[in-house]
Amino acid sequence: MTDVSLMDKFAALGRRRDELSAGGIDPTRVVMESMLSATEAVIGGRRTILAGTNNYLGLTFDPQCIAAGQAALAELGTGTTGSRMANGNFAAHGALERELAEFYGCPHAMVFSTGYSANLGTLAALLGPGDCVLLDSDAHASLYDGCRMTGADIYVFKHNDVTSLEKRLRRLGERTARTLVVTEGLFSVLGDKAPLAEIVALKNRYGAFLLVDEAHSLGVFGAQGRGVAEQAGVLDQVDFIVGTFSKSLASTGGFCVSHHQALSVFRFASRAYIFTASACPSVVATTRMALRRMRESPQLQETLWRNARQLYAGLHGLGLRLGPEISPVVAVRFEVAERALQAWRALLDLGVYTNLMMPPASPDGASLLRCSASAAHTPEQIQSIIDGFQAVTSPAPQERSPDRDFAP
Amino acid sequence: MKLDPAAAEAEITGILAGFLSKPMPLTGDTDMVSDLGLESVQVMEFVMEVEDHYDIALDLESLSHVRTISELAAAVVRSLD
Repeated sequence: MTDVSLMDKFAALGRRRDELSAGGIDPTRVVMESMLSATEAVIGGRRTILAGTNNYLGLTFDPQCIAAGQAALAELGTGTTGSRMANGNFAAHGALERELAEFYGCPHAMVFSTGYSANLGTLAALLGPGDCVLLDSDAHASLYDGCRMTGADIYVFKHNDVTSLEKRLRRLGERTARTLVVTEGLFSVLGDKAPLAEIVALKNRYGAFLLVDEAHSLGVFGAQGRGVAEQAGVLDQVDFIVGTFSKSLASTGGFCVSHHQALSVFRFASRAYIFTASACPSVVATTRMALRRMRESPQLQETLWRNARQLYAGLHGLGLRLGPEISPVVAVRFEVAERALQAWRALLDLGVYTNLMMPPASPDGASLLRCSASAAHTPEQIQSIIDGFQAVTSPAPQERSPDRDFAP
Repeated sequence: MKLDPAAAEAEITGILAGFLSKPMPLTGDTDMVSDLGLESVQVMEFVMEVEDHYDIALDLESLSHVRTISELAAAVVRSLD
């Protein structure tokens, strides 16, 4: 008999949590005590600008979305109390799927209760033993998890590196016909885009398939807000697009759209879809209204980008090391994790909330303070965020670098 | 292409020495995470370098139990068999 307990594995995690809490507020346990608007909350009793919410279009307090949600609550109730396959299939779920299909110009769409389950449910339906996945090394945890569930052989290629991808496609030989390339439109941590036109050309040349997660790019890129694939002019050649309602559409849930007929039977093969309750009627209603608001209001995307450019330029002007391209996700790199934590706390004390990312959740061992711009930020709020970074980083020249880009 | 496990281990040790930002003592039993302090993403980057060196593809499942240099060498040798 061994004296190792089931619970022993949590000791190290507990120590790490205690270390994080020791010097002040724990970055993993920030509480929004009340929400003042799409861009401000009360945290620690203080009015705080939200600079890291993924609320790209700022629709969380949109009056029309709120009214749609309230009407659905009154008419359809608080929850569906069941899955789509059983009693939880309301007309609004199907309507949302039809609206998404029409938006993307695809015949098929499927909605899930969360973005995470959209990736799990899509990948698990699509892949099985004997299939192959080529996965970008910086892909979101939900994509890794979804691929791992399937029994498919998973090969990782270097982040956004088409040469690395092509080498792996070539090594797979005849297996490419059973291969799915998996990447993201806009990468959520560094705010860099996948080279989708080149990836599409490669997957076509090798006869493989492509799934793109546009979670952070819906509403952010493309003339109609359909994402990086639309902007790159390859939307019709991406086999599967997955995404979430929890960012630009300001609710919760996820989706998959596709030209492939197979998607129409995915719902009979996707356990993450079958064995979970469907989205609440109010959530579906606010999602549908947000999709409509996004389509009717291209100025939201324009305002978002104005704010993104102001934020990137301001932080760049401070000499901070930022991600490789301007986007609504602006990540400030710190080589020393402890400095990142100190700066994150100091910013919060100044009334600016950002996302702290430390290894292993960040790429290449660095620590990041990640900001995301919103269309709802005012130019003054963006300036306050920049001023906050200036105040907390000015005594630390080691974070400044003439080569502002991330080292490869 | 057949590869001798000892030769693979020596070659991979050399690739790892070039990958690390500072010199570290390396043997076949060196654990890349607990001995070298590499994050899991850094181990993955190193594995991709090894894949490119041998022009092979190592799937995540075959790497799931790999912690040391000699275990990685064994996975490389298996994929070349």
